[in-house]
Amino acid sequence: MSTILKIFVFPAALILICYGALTILGGHITPGGGFQGGAIIASAIIFCLIVYGLKESPIKLSHNFMASIESIGAIGYVLLGLAGLFTSGFFLYNLGVDLYHIIPPNIVNIFDYPDPTHAGIIPYLNFVVGLKVLVGLSAVVITFLESDKLLKKMESK
Amino acid sequence: MVYSGPLILGFIIGFLIGTRIKPSPESKLKFGASVYAVLAIVAIVMAYQIGPFPFYTDTPFASGFIAALAGIFVGKLTFGRG
Repeated sequence: MSTILKIFVFPAALILICYGALTILGGHITPGGGFQGGAIIASAIIFCLIVYGLKESPIKLSHNFMASIESIGAIGYVLLGLAGLFTSGFFLYNLGVDLYHIIPPNIVNIFDYPDPTHAGIIPYLNFVVGLKVLVGLSAVVITFLESDKLLKKMESK
Repeated sequence: MVYSGPLILGFIIGFLIGTRIKPSPESKLKFGASVYAVLAIVAIVMAYQIGPFPFYTDTPFASGFIAALAGIFVGKLTFGRG
């Protein structure tokens, strides 16, 4: 890729990452959410991967990092669901809002999201989904880029 | 009163990505402190133009956006050096 692109893309990717984070954080009251924000952040990472290549990319996602973040996302979602199941009897019950008034107030306070909407567990669900999606979509492109190398190795043999 | 929810979650997202920003020895391009300084100015202007997203009234700028940027910088400075 050209030098102009290489100078421009990394700072632009960081701005995109901030914008993706903002999309995740506003997911409970505006259009967007975990998947959309995660996809925006993944697009920033993919932008870097395409322009700089896998070796020279300034944002390096290792296998272990991707595996851990993906697992944290999935486990976080399930744990939030199970917390609702064990305390109220409903899977993914919104413990921070408690519409049916069946949860003790101290548990409601723990899961309350500190902003004026008090959306309960929904922002946390958006957050864990965002983590899972940003890593998952980036992993697809990283796998494609690495598979190209593997194919070349196989052809040379 | 500043709402802590978007600040904390935005910081964590930025921090996670910031830890993965590492200098590449094979690349001829080096992104030094000046790039990050310009980036901070652009991001602050952008956050101010976005306004207190989403429908907040606590600050005149998008606090989650600035928190994510701060997270990127802190992640880069702590774990993203090598």
